[in-house]
Amino acid sequence: MEYFRSGLKSVLGAPAPGTQPTGAETVERLVSRVSTSTLLEDRRDACRALKALSRKYRLEVGAQGMDVLRQVLELDRSDCEIIGYCLDTLCNITSKEVFEEESESNLNIKVNVGEQFTEMFIKNAENVTLVLSFLEEYDFRVRWPAVKLLTSLLASKPKEIQDVILVSPMGVSKLMDLLVESREVIRNDALLLLINLTKSNANIQKIVAFENAFDRLFDVIREEGFTDGGIVVEDCMLLMLNLLKNNTSNINFFKEGSYIQKLAPMFILPDNLEEVGWSPQKVSNMHCVLQLVRTLVSPTNPVQIVTSCQKTMRNANLLEALCNILMASGVPADILTETINTVGEVIRGNLTNQEYFAGVMAPSNPPRPAIVVLLMSMVNEKQPFTLRCAVLYCFQCFLFKNEIGQEQVVQTLLPSSTNSTLTTGQLLCGGLFSADSLSCWFSSVALSHTLIENPAQREQLLRVLLATNLGSQPVSLLHQCAVFLQQTTKLQAKIGILMLLAMWMSHCPQAVQVFLNVPGAMAFLTAQTSASEFDNNEEILQGLCAFLMGLCVAFNDNSVQNYSKENLSQLIEKRVGTETYCTKLGEISRHEVYAKAAKQPQIRAKHSSELLLEFEFCKLFKALEPVIIKALGVQRDLSNGMSELSLSEHENALLLQYKELIRDQDKKLQDVHKSLSNLQRENQDLKGQIEELRQTNSQLHDQNTLLKAQMQLSGTAVAEPGNDKVKQLEAELVEKDAELERLRKDQDDLLELLTDQDTKLNAFKNRLKELGETVEDGDSEDNSAGSDNEV
Amino acid sequence: MSYAYLFKYIIIGDTGVGKSCLLLQFTDKRFQPVHDLTIGVEFGARMITIDGKQIKLQIWDTAGQEAFRSITRSYYRGAAGALLVYDITRRETFNHLTTWLDDARQHSNSNMVIMLIGNKSDLESRREVKKEEGEAFAREHGLVFMETSAKTAANVEEAFINTAKEIYEKIQEGVFDINNEANGIKIGPQHSPTNPSLPGAGGAGGSQGSSCC
Repeated sequence: MEYFRSGLKSVLGAPAPGTQPTGAETVERLVSRVSTSTLLEDRRDACRALKALSRKYRLEVGAQGMDVLRQVLELDRSDCEIIGYCLDTLCNITSKEVFEEESESNLNIKVNVGEQFTEMFIKNAENVTLVLSFLEEYDFRVRWPAVKLLTSLLASKPKEIQDVILVSPMGVSKLMDLLVESREVIRNDALLLLINLTKSNANIQKIVAFENAFDRLFDVIREEGFTDGGIVVEDCMLLMLNLLKNNTSNINFFKEGSYIQKLAPMFILPDNLEEVGWSPQKVSNMHCVLQLVRTLVSPTNPVQIVTSCQKTMRNANLLEALCNILMASGVPADILTETINTVGEVIRGNLTNQEYFAGVMAPSNPPRPAIVVLLMSMVNEKQPFTLRCAVLYCFQCFLFKNEIGQEQVVQTLLPSSTNSTLTTGQLLCGGLFSADSLSCWFSSVALSHTLIENPAQREQLLRVLLATNLGSQPVSLLHQCAVFLQQTTKLQAKIGILMLLAMWMSHCPQAVQVFLNVPGAMAFLTAQTSASEFDNNEEILQGLCAFLMGLCVAFNDNSVQNYSKENLSQLIEKRVGTETYCTKLGEISRHEVYAKAAKQPQIRAKHSSELLLEFEFCKLFKALEPVIIKALGVQRDLSNGMSELSLSEHENALLLQYKELIRDQDKKLQDVHKSLSNLQRENQDLKGQIEELRQTNSQLHDQNTLLKAQMQLSGTAVAEPGNDKVKQLEAELVEKDAELERLRKDQDDLLELLTDQDTKLNAFKNRLKELGETVEDGDSEDNSAGSDNEV
Repeated sequence: MSYAYLFKYIIIGDTGVGKSCLLLQFTDKRFQPVHDLTIGVEFGARMITIDGKQIKLQIWDTAGQEAFRSITRSYYRGAAGALLVYDITRRETFNHLTTWLDDARQHSNSNMVIMLIGNKSDLESRREVKKEEGEAFAREHGLVFMETSAKTAANVEEAFINTAKEIYEKIQEGVFDINNEANGIKIGPQHSPTNPSLPGAGGAGGSQGSSCC
């Protein structure tokens, strides 16, 4: 503090003895010095002092100094030192951060001052362009604070700054040039700036990519030592992630520019890794690289791009490297989990990659396929939850659009295969009926994925037989599932099995037939569906049971006595009631877990209890719900005594009915359209109004801030005497008014008296005339004229 | 997938003249009669062969609408070639060429090769701009000219390839500084700039090598 004071003294001259100038006064004097001094040295000194005060007296410096600082930026741009001070000062006053020095002297203003000053500064877009132009200045004292100021502005008003930079000529290129800056501190700060700048703005992302960002970033990454590098590597990866996330054009560019190949060195694990271990930074870097790979092949990207990226990744041996990490020892669990997810997405829906993955062997003794080792973890209660989820996802990706893979898995369960080693099928069957409900859920879902869009495997799986107890007859897998469904008390397990059965029985009358023959199965479904109350999440269970009943109707070939199509729909109508049935069925898609699961193929859950429904099942449900409703509806009409002959007539009637319905809906649609366009127009108007109000508001804000600052300056003493004076004057006014009134009255009285006197005078005059005296005429005329005037 | 050179292109011109369709025809060899408005820019790429050398074309297809003009300008500087497209069935797209050309010349590097393209040559019956007019405009402004049809693919390959040839020749003549990536040209990974056998690098690289940093 003493240092500051002495510094200030030299700038301002010693203060008058006995009076200590307030911060505001000092700032005021400094600001006027900056704006009026003719000598550059003086202005520079004053700017240096302002910079020193700009934290503690941020409000004062900002309110009074912003215009002056801006001026300096324009006029003194040849002097790097003063520009540096100015930029630093602006950086401080626009900072979002609340400074320590500031809070101790803090005023009772609660608003975010930094944000408001930012708003004031960027209101004129040219100011931002001006700051951008300082990036071209090589001098460290200018370039670095310019980067920092832009970062600070961006933190408060990201969208506005993005818009300004986007339209300012060469704005992005100037920033990109900073990535080849030899002074690392500038380069690293520029990196952070670019990360913030590219957030959720596809246009900037594309320009940054066009300006050779990937080349530059890979250069930096290489210089820093790939994944062994420091946080700068992580920052580079984060920027790349920003550029690629949901940006198809950039992903395409990344692929076409052969950058995928450049990722390969990132996955090479050093031989001595087990000794040196994984540093936290290495873990973070690795996470970012894995994220990057996943962004390129994310299931939400267009299929064409995903497929070609997957192909390139295999050809660049990236898939191989990933599988090596999968099988390496000493890999931290979260990296392993993410690697499993990544491998999943790299092979998802790509037959060649899936085949490669199927051939990967784990270095165990005896050697086992990697898939088997992974599935062992999935059905192992002791493994971390997220890891088990990842394995399931990876397995699903392996089976996605992979008929051969599906067949291979089912094959391992068939009686013909007399393999003594542990197989995928055995693991899944073991998990299916395990006491751990999560294992059961995982295994059901995994098994159900061998059946997706694959009618042949649905029939093959019916051939699977299980030996339950020694000596007793082996039972079919489906039979055992139906029995287990009735026996287990765990909700998660039941839901898993039901999803498996639903996948199995859809479009497969043979499976329906087997299920209907299981004693008690139908009764169980009926009881669940007709239950009128439910506990937590049991509505899903009941909905699934309803769904399964519906499948038994829709895919029924009438081969089981007492359970024909007609019988079953009557059962539903009489025991459950059509309306209740539809409500139960609808319960599934209304539930939040449905919405969550249907969002993306990957299983995203924080806790094991959240796992109930699954992506592919949701798709199945969505496709078949209307089929079931239709099947039930038609059945009902038939049972109402519609003969086959009248069917065409009936169809005709239906057709007419539908036509009417469509016409109705068409009309409604038009109405809705009309009201929509009305509302849109209204919305437009309102938006305009809001915009206007916002502008007024922001103006008022600014004024407010300024006024507050000014108030601080001038203190509160000025207003009071003014008030008193007004009051005093008012009182005087009342007094004077009263006096005036009184005087008027007096005057009236006097006038009356005067008139009296006048008449008397006239009478006397007349009498004098009568008596023969001479009276001067002029006098009398004057008198009368005077009285005329006055009356 | 390695290449000797990489050229960056941009496609510019009024909205609806068929810029995106030209790119699609060139990269995917297909035509999409109904195409969404381009938002900002879209990327496409293809490999071609010139003089026995593999050349990778990276093409940025820009939005023609006025609203995106300031965004698309950002792409001018870094491009080695530009396809300036108008629609032969809409006179006004031809009339706007001067504005486009001024804009491009102002924001790009001076060596950028510009190819003038009159698109939709399949719609002869609705033609509003004569081929001679296009030729005259090109001659006057020193551009290469061609009429194309993104629908029938007529001249589409030629348009992209001829532009590349022109750039390639300029490299051979040493007009382009191939060490400066801002010109929209990159040398392929197997051709390092110090490689003495590289054609053209001997003359151009020697005198301009110092400008890279």
